[in-house]
Amino acid sequence: MRRINALLGKELADLRQNRAVFFPAILTGVISMSLPFFVAVFVPAFTGERLSDSSDLEIAEQLYRAQPGLAALSTEGAIQAWIFQQFLVLLVLTPVAGSMSVAAYSVIGEKQARTLEPLLATPLTTVELLIAKVLGALLPALALTVACFAVYVAGVALLAEPGVFRALLTPASLTIVFILGPLAALAALQLAVCASSRVNDARSAQQIGALIILPIAAALVLQLTGTFLLTAPMMAFIAAALVAINGGLMLLGIVLFDRESILTRWK
Amino acid sequence: MVLTAQHLTRRFGNRVAVDDLSFDLLPGEIFALLGPNGAGKTTTLRMVAGLIEPSSGQVTIGGKVVTRHTASKLRGQIGFLTEMPGLWDRLTVTQNLLVYAQLHRLPHPYAAIDQALDLLDLRDRAGDPAVQLSKGLRQRVALARTLLHRPTIVLLDEPTAGLDPESAREVRELILRLRSERRTIVLSTHNLDEVERVADRVAVMRTRLVALDTPAALRVHLFGARLRIVVVQAGASFVNVLEEAGFTDVRTDGETLSIGVDDPAADAPLIVRRLVEAGASVVMVMPEQPSLEEVYLTLMRDHKTPEAVRS
Repeated sequence: MRRINALLGKELADLRQNRAVFFPAILTGVISMSLPFFVAVFVPAFTGERLSDSSDLEIAEQLYRAQPGLAALSTEGAIQAWIFQQFLVLLVLTPVAGSMSVAAYSVIGEKQARTLEPLLATPLTTVELLIAKVLGALLPALALTVACFAVYVAGVALLAEPGVFRALLTPASLTIVFILGPLAALAALQLAVCASSRVNDARSAQQIGALIILPIAAALVLQLTGTFLLTAPMMAFIAAALVAINGGLMLLGIVLFDRESILTRWK
Repeated sequence: MVLTAQHLTRRFGNRVAVDDLSFDLLPGEIFALLGPNGAGKTTTLRMVAGLIEPSSGQVTIGGKVVTRHTASKLRGQIGFLTEMPGLWDRLTVTQNLLVYAQLHRLPHPYAAIDQALDLLDLRDRAGDPAVQLSKGLRQRVALARTLLHRPTIVLLDEPTAGLDPESAREVRELILRLRSERRTIVLSTHNLDEVERVADRVAVMRTRLVALDTPAALRVHLFGARLRIVVVQAGASFVNVLEEAGFTDVRTDGETLSIGVDDPAADAPLIVRRLVEAGASVVMVMPEQPSLEEVYLTLMRDHKTPEAVRS
């Protein structure tokens, strides 16, 4: 554990000196957070056409009326709550985008900077190295997600109909942000670190790691079209699947991390 | 023995990088690996450090064989200065060293860092980011990192490459200081002068071991022992006198005689006496030492001979 902490400390110290690496993540977070405000608050305010005027969004109102805690919401508020909750899935992309470049660069970056060989010449084991590398990318991204979520909830409390912000504090919403999001981010980062230890440049690793965005984006589209709803059993299933995927990726990472190839074949 | 390499061989695909290399190292010994680029020096160091596995043969450290399972633990006894300093540029000197102190689980990391900074005279640069350091300073920080955990075996891959003469001398002095602390040092280098100054034994390699001995023994083995005598007269006029005395390997160059002998200390008085008796005015007598460069170049030229020169 001490060695993991040592390397993790180095990763975080290094990132503190290179904050620009999180610019894409901050941008993703800002865009993710802004979109629902445009759809649910700004556009209706500018056009004068309320969301509740559209018959397309009746399903949203019905969904929220069914929840006892949110039954008191106005029609407009219920639809806004539905929109803000759907876009939470997009917020899940924030940690992935934020940490992908860090994870992708983690092993190959050390190799390119010629810092990997001295590191491997210490008693550090492969498992310790990989855990530290993944956590080094994950922890800042999670901090960013929490910050984004706090801003999101505060924005909803300020700009949306009264009581809508409570829709973001339901167990389902919190599960998306604090369990499914981090688990998906962990899987993406592990994939990127695995790739980083096998490919010859960070861009390839980043592209491989970014594959995780596809199922998340698909989930968002399916939700918005009403084809697929993130119910509690569905979220439990996804969480269990992500835990299993993460376990498998850790084992895969250990198997794929070949010190000899990294030292002797990479140029 | 602190370190034993037995029949080390390493292949990369069809290419043989190191072929049947064996050596034993004693505590406090400075052992130099000499050879051209691609001779297998770095591969040898990596095998000793447990970073790559030999295709055949084995490395033993303190009686324990280096394997995939033991390597992590045994690396704690080794300090490896890699060819490039490999510092994290955005971190300060202290931050760089602190990570390694913690990776080696040192009980008092900051005390160890202070010691290493003092040893390498880096105290005043401790707070500087590594990116701001000159090449010489970066190498010193890398050396501090290598010695931080007080390893019993120190592997140095080209430690003075690219350094200015003053920095290179400081590194050599440090190497000698490490020997006085009974640390075993394996030094990979192209710098023959460096080897001449610090190494107790030299392994000349070109994939295979070409020669292994002390620098002095290699000279004698390859060139034989010779005496150089300068006289006032023409040296050629005394060749007959020396041949009559049994010294048949005599070369002359103006007033200088170069004479092949079995034992310079025993033969010098007899040779001088004969020369003086023959009317020579002897100006100077000294043992003739070919430089290590001559030894190295001769070994490399004659390398095709299958037998390694070894004591």
